[in-house]
Amino acid sequence: MKINYRQLAVLVFMSFIALKILALPGLLYAESGNMSWLVTLILMLVDTFYAILIIGLIKKAGNKNILEFMTEIMGPVLPRILMFILILKYGLVVANISKGLEFFVVENFYNELNWIVFVLPLILLTGFMVYKGLRNIARVSEMIYFAVFIGCLYIALKSIAGVDIFNFLPFFKDGVKPLFEAGFNHLSWFGSGTFLLMLFGKVDFSNEKRFTMFKFIAFAFILVLLVHFVFYGLFDVTSPTHAFCISDISQFSSGKSSIDELSWLVVSLWVTAQAVQLSMFGYCMVQAIKFTFNIKNNVFPILVLLIYIFMWSVIGENTVRLEVVFLSTFASVLTIVSQYIIPLILWLGWAVKNGGGKAKKSKKQKNSTKNGKILQKNALKTPKTDKNNKKLSQKGVV
Amino acid sequence: MKVDAVNTKAEIESKLHNSSDVKSRTVQFFKTKIVIMYVADITDNFLFNQTLIYPLTTYQNAVGTGTTASDVEKELKEKVLANQEVVEFEELQQAIDGLLSGKTLILIDGAQKILACDLELITTRAVMEPPTSVVIKGPREGFNESIKYNLALIRKRVRTDDLVVKLLEIGELTKTQVGVVYFNSVADKNVVKQIISRLKSIKIDGVLDAHYLISYLQKKPKSLFKQIGDVEKPDILVGKMLEGRIGILVDGTPIALTVPFVLIEDLQNSDDYYSQPIRVMLVRILRLLGVILAVVLPGVYVALEIYHYKILPTEFLVTIMNTTQGIPFSPFVEIFFLVVLFEILYEANLRMPQYFGMAMSIVGALILGETTVNAGLVSPPAVMIVALSGITFYIIPSQAAQFSVLRLCAVVIGACLGLYGMLIFCVFILSYLASFDSYKSAYLAPTAPYIKNDQQDLFKRANIKEMRKRPKSIANNKQNQNRRGNEN
Repeated sequence: MKINYRQLAVLVFMSFIALKILALPGLLYAESGNMSWLVTLILMLVDTFYAILIIGLIKKAGNKNILEFMTEIMGPVLPRILMFILILKYGLVVANISKGLEFFVVENFYNELNWIVFVLPLILLTGFMVYKGLRNIARVSEMIYFAVFIGCLYIALKSIAGVDIFNFLPFFKDGVKPLFEAGFNHLSWFGSGTFLLMLFGKVDFSNEKRFTMFKFIAFAFILVLLVHFVFYGLFDVTSPTHAFCISDISQFSSGKSSIDELSWLVVSLWVTAQAVQLSMFGYCMVQAIKFTFNIKNNVFPILVLLIYIFMWSVIGENTVRLEVVFLSTFASVLTIVSQYIIPLILWLGWAVKNGGGKAKKSKKQKNSTKNGKILQKNALKTPKTDKNNKKLSQKGVV
Repeated sequence: MKVDAVNTKAEIESKLHNSSDVKSRTVQFFKTKIVIMYVADITDNFLFNQTLIYPLTTYQNAVGTGTTASDVEKELKEKVLANQEVVEFEELQQAIDGLLSGKTLILIDGAQKILACDLELITTRAVMEPPTSVVIKGPREGFNESIKYNLALIRKRVRTDDLVVKLLEIGELTKTQVGVVYFNSVADKNVVKQIISRLKSIKIDGVLDAHYLISYLQKKPKSLFKQIGDVEKPDILVGKMLEGRIGILVDGTPIALTVPFVLIEDLQNSDDYYSQPIRVMLVRILRLLGVILAVVLPGVYVALEIYHYKILPTEFLVTIMNTTQGIPFSPFVEIFFLVVLFEILYEANLRMPQYFGMAMSIVGALILGETTVNAGLVSPPAVMIVALSGITFYIIPSQAAQFSVLRLCAVVIGACLGLYGMLIFCVFILSYLASFDSYKSAYLAPTAPYIKNDQQDLFKRANIKEMRKRPKSIANNKQNQNRRGNEN
């Protein structure tokens, strides 16, 4: 079951905004100060580059899945190792989304909550959506993306009047180094295009329109940067203490101790978007498990995924801080490999293979032209003889 | 088969277990004995006398010809019964089937075939406006229980050779006539083939209503959600067929089924196509809001009261607290009780004789509602919420049954998991619906997948003049996407 090009664009949009407007702005500010928006901008541009690169490769791959594509380029062993790395990467994102959702729901929705019980409906939903497949996730994303976009935009614009532009000045007051450090430490929040690796052979490009993808990526840029801008503009140095960007800016704007009604609707929409994203990356993880261990059916990998999500809700509670897991060097290195190196390897492999193919082809063509010329020459010079024919056939013309 | 008038008559009677309503008359046509057999209650007496008995007897007196059975057969077909469509049966069983479906058999002594003419008495109600599809503007004709009348209502609107009607007989005992109607150049041939083959494969003793066929046509028969459309008006059916859908008419029921079905169909009303587009847009948005309110409002109320009361504006919260003070039940029990009460009242009201219905409404709305509030058993906001939800159900009457189940689920989930649970529930429903495909058409189309062309008839309805292409979300003939008349 393939998804269409527009659905692909919607999924890219959703993944671009998924992790970036909740805890990230506060975490970035803690390290890079008022220039954090620049880190986001640059890393999103890098994400865009990689997303377009991978989409190009998906197009080239035709109906081949990622494993077939990799095997064709680099033989049978290396792809499985890379697949295993991707399992870890997707696992990291799944954990990130589920933990983020947990903190968000527990903090914003309830006074007291036993998340271990409450995670069960989320697990059921994820299991159902992953079981139903990519097309199902794409369709649900299509249903909700616009409401999420409009809702978040509404919150940002509603609060924009409170933004103090001087919070962004002076530029680069601590130099450029903190920006690089913050960028490196928080790489795991980016790399939105990694999910695309599992979409090889699953996209129908027949209805591709030129600007659809750019339009959706532009929407994501506008939304993320606007929310970051409003967040830093409102909270300035207190930004690191605000863990939930999207709900915190609306809380500020309402000027009350509680969040106003409409903002709650938007925040609720945000939760649904996160749940869908969890399914998306869960799907990728399941696919990666299937490819790595050559499993044919979906049930076992889905069970692994669901147990994994559940385990996170158990071990993560009060013992492991979100930052410890996601800001570790391991996470950053894993992210660099999976989201920046693997696509490059794929692209280079493909380029070398096809370039080599072209070179071989052109050499062959050259030979045949040369032989053709000999043939022509002989034809003009003397009548065809058996000897000439024999020579030519030896050269591979006939 | 050689017909011996008396013996064949006896044989038929014996096969029909000497049923009392099977009557016969014997006529001497020159030297040949003719037995006429018919089922009294389904044969039109007037037609029987005027178009069969009278010509038979008068013709004999006036001219006088024909001696052999084949001469008599020829004479009857070509002269005596020239104003009738005469059918020939070569097998006795075929003749019996014909007799039971309203045909009058003519058994000519010595003939090789049994002749029959159609003198069926059609008893049906008049063409009326269906109660579930009342319109302010537009045609008011609705289907009735006769497939013949219903086909006539369609033919009246469609005068083209492109309209195809395929009649099938379903039901081992009832032998109910089922008609598959579609436009040959518009409908998807594969879907037509699929539907006909599914219908032909039905093994059932009787089909008493179109809904009998639904479980055979649905791809997910156990699902709560509707997967086959139903209409009660010929103009709506023809409108759907013009988009590429296929209609299924069943004798004995005023409801025609349509396939493929997409969810958005129920948000559209035939009125929409006869009204101003801007008004239509507003109404459709209200309908969607109504549906959402109907399903989730009681659940959200319970969730807010139990878990998230801080979301409510202070003034509103104070009002609610004042009214709910002293109520002995939890918000969940309160709402659950009212929802169940509403369902019971609705069920009772539906089946009650009309003159009781009004009294029932008064008892339900005034006495029960008022008294329970005054007695302090339930709070006024709870009554208001359930009443609002109950009314908004009937914005889309054909989905009311599904909504009532969903509403109950929403109440339970809201009470157990709060707003977060409601959100998960909503995404689950969306995801479940997104996984549906009805005969090559995505259930949530044209929203998911998004189909640009079909946005012209989603919330905003474009002018009829501008709707040049048939909907792409419906499986139809992709070679014929232009609506005729707009081709240039």
